[in-house]
Parts: sequence; structure tokens; C-alpha cells
Amino acid sequence: MSGKKRDELEGVIGLCRAVQAGSVEPFAVDIDYMLEVIRRYYPETNNLQDFCTDAAAIKGLSQVLQSQNDWIQHQSTTLYKDPFLLNQQIQKMDISAIADGFLKSWHTIVQMEQLSAKTLAGSLGYWTDLIPLVERWKVSDVQMVDAGTATLDEVRALGYLPEEGFADIMESFWKELEARVGKDGRIAYWDWIGADTYEETLNRSYITVFLVSYGYANIESDRFGEKVEIIHNSELRSDPVQSKLSIPTLVDYEEWKQWRKG
Amino acid sequence: MAKRVRSEAGYARKIKDAVHLLFFQHHRLPGVRGWELRQELGPDWENVLEVLDKQLQPMDLQVTRVLDDPNIIDPDQAQLADARFYITMRSGIDQKAAKTIGWRVDDIAGLAVAIAYIISKQGKAPRTEVEKLLQEKLPGWRVKMSIDRYIQQGYLGEDEKGVLYMDWRSRAEVDQKQLVDLILSFGKRKEVEVAKPKLEEHTEEEED
Repeated sequence: MSGKKRDELEGVIGLCRAVQAGSVEPFAVDIDYMLEVIRRYYPETNNLQDFCTDAAAIKGLSQVLQSQNDWIQHQSTTLYKDPFLLNQQIQKMDISAIADGFLKSWHTIVQMEQLSAKTLAGSLGYWTDLIPLVERWKVSDVQMVDAGTATLDEVRALGYLPEEGFADIMESFWKELEARVGKDGRIAYWDWIGADTYEETLNRSYITVFLVSYGYANIESDRFGEKVEIIHNSELRSDPVQSKLSIPTLVDYEEWKQWRKG
Repeated sequence: MAKRVRSEAGYARKIKDAVHLLFFQHHRLPGVRGWELRQELGPDWENVLEVLDKQLQPMDLQVTRVLDDPNIIDPDQAQLADARFYITMRSGIDQKAAKTIGWRVDDIAGLAVAIAYIISKQGKAPRTEVEKLLQEKLPGWRVKMSIDRYIQQGYLGEDEKGVLYMDWRSRAEVDQKQLVDLILSFGKRKEVEVAKPKLEEHTEEEED
């Protein structure tokens, strides 16, 4: 395609972009002319750049048609007023009259910021528990030590590695879930992860994440996130119907305390 | 009887909770989503808001609902859950009051023109066009500064292509239909005002 022809196609793309930006009315452009330009040059497209230009022109044209559709819909709403008429009116009005008109239709948001005695007392408690910066940002006293070796059993004995493998832990969780709810059964999230200590609860919620990710179980939440449930998968797979979404669940200490109280 | 008293007390508590939620800012932006209100106030949250709105009326305040799509007239439950709710002034404010909250008459007029122009352009217009329109009555340096201020305060938004649109605050605070109607009826109102005394004079003459 020659430079001149490409320029003409790019002119069409530019016009479409102007419509998108709102500087040209959607009905001010001649769709037939644009289509004719695209049709005329399509047989001459023979390299990637030409195809890209042609595709951009078609995309632009479809967006103009979409804008025309939106424009008609907008005109059918009560909000539609002739832009030309509106501009003329704005030109005629003085600044004070425009401001007066606006103030009549301006309903400002009422919002407050306030500290209560309760908030202050709570903050004071936080301040008391806060460790001074000197201690928090203390430079660690690092010492040079001779590097040594340890066996897997020694590392396990030191508590750096769990006694059983992670896959084994998940298998045992899966079996526990089946024992509690049966095959394909459901259980409320907190009833599943909740344990006697907060640390154990955190650990269970951590493993549950992998249980779901690896297809041992599914997690379901209602629209408002009020009801979260864990569902046992009798076969090791994730539900193909269920969309792949992350469901963030907060395992809060206060919530855990509430759960413990029942 | 005791049941009714208990239910009234429960409602009063819910209205108090609604006041706390709506008056105090909980997020980066003001306003509370419908689903948050439902979560806090229960399934009859819409009735609670209706009662609160009535109670706010004597104080010239109201509960305002802003839907994501302003063209929806009769929203369904899902659309209501996504809508934002605010407490706003029920009636408009005068120029004197506007000055006390830090707005010059130029600023207000500039915002009015920008919003009206954007509405007429189907919700978006290039910044250069809005600037050109404002520059007809305001100095250029002031126009740029004002538009930046409108953007910063959430009245207008600007995308990467320099196109202005109405942001969350205009949608929450400005009655768009009323504004456009007021601007369009400006000349006509004046004509009616001028024509009225003439008509009265004419009638008096006829009676004489």
C-alpha cells in the first residue's frame, strides 16, 4: 500500500478517535465514505503494517457506530438537551447567573470527622503497647559462624521442617474433611478452620488455601461474603463449572475469639 | 405491646447506626454502598433509610442514592446493593453560603459551565474544548487552575487522552437535569418576568 493510501486510512482512524474523544459528533462523520476507503484499500494490503492499519480502521468504525447508538439512547433520555442550544445559553448568561443556577442544583455532601472519648482511649492503649522505635529498628547483632551441615532428621527435630511432607498433611486434611462432612459435603468456613488456639486456626486456614488450590476441596461465598463454605471434593479436582476466583478470607483474632465463644 | 416497643427500639437503634454509617467517612471516598448498609442494618435497610430521610427533612438534609448507571430509573436489588448512599443538603445553597465554604463565584460558574458542557456532550468532552469555553469569560491561568481543582476535588475526572468526564462527586451532588433545565430556561424566565408586568399594565389600562 502506498504512503498516500495509508495516510487516507490513517485519516479515517484519526476521525474515529476524534469521535471517541468527544470532539466530533458521532453523526457528523460520513460512515459510507469511511467504509468505501476501507473497502478500496483492503485488496492492496500485503504486509503486517497494512493489515494492522486496516484492522485499526475497522475497529474505529465499529466504535463510531457504537457511539451513534449511545447517542440515540442518550437523546431518548430526559437528560438530553441540544448541545448547541445549551452553548448559546451559556454564552448569553453572565457568571453570576450561571453560578446562581448551579447553586440551586448543587446539594453538597454532608460529612463529619470526629474523635470520640472511646476512640481516644483505644488509641492510648495502642500507644502503651507500641514498642519504641529504638527497639523496633534495632540493628541485629549478626555474628560470623562456621557453616555446618545437618541431616533431614536433625532439621525436623529442630522444627524447621514439618514431621510429615506437605502432601501428606493435605491428604490427612482431605480425609478429615470427608470424615466430618462426608463425600461432597459442606461445612461453614469457620467451623472448619476453627481450633482451640489461634495459632492452630491460622495453620488450618493456611493449609485450607492449598486444599482448595490443589482441588481437594472447593470454597463458596455468597454475594456479601457473609456465608463462606468449604465443600469436600470426592475426586481430586477443582470444580470446572466454578470460575477461578480468589476469595480473600480474614482470619482475625477478634473473630476467632467470637467463634470460640460460639 | 411489649413486642411493639421492642420493635420501635430496634428501629431507633438501626436509624442511629445508619446515621453513624452515612455521616462519618469510613473509606477514602465518602458514601456507603448499599450492600454495606444491608450488612449493618439488616434486610429492611431500605425502610430504615426512608425513615431517616423523613427525620432529616426538617434539618434541610436528605439521603441521596447514586447508581452506577444514572439512566436506571427503577433499580433492582443488585443495582441497589452497588449504589452509593450519601447525606446531602436537601435544598440548594446561596452564593453567600458558598463563599463561606471556600468557593468564589467564578469557581462555581466555571464548574457549572464545565458540567453543563460535558452533559451536553454525552458525558465526556476534551479538556481543551472545556478550557476554550471557560476562557471566553475567565482568564486562561485561572481556567487551568480551576479545572485542576475540580479534578482534585472529585467533581471532574480526566483520562489519559485528556478527556474530561463527570466524576463521583458531581454525580452525587449535582442534580444534572435541574442544572440543564435552569440554564435552558434562563432567557425564557427573564422574558416571562418582563412580559408579566406589561400584561398587568395592559389589563389595568383596559379596566380604566
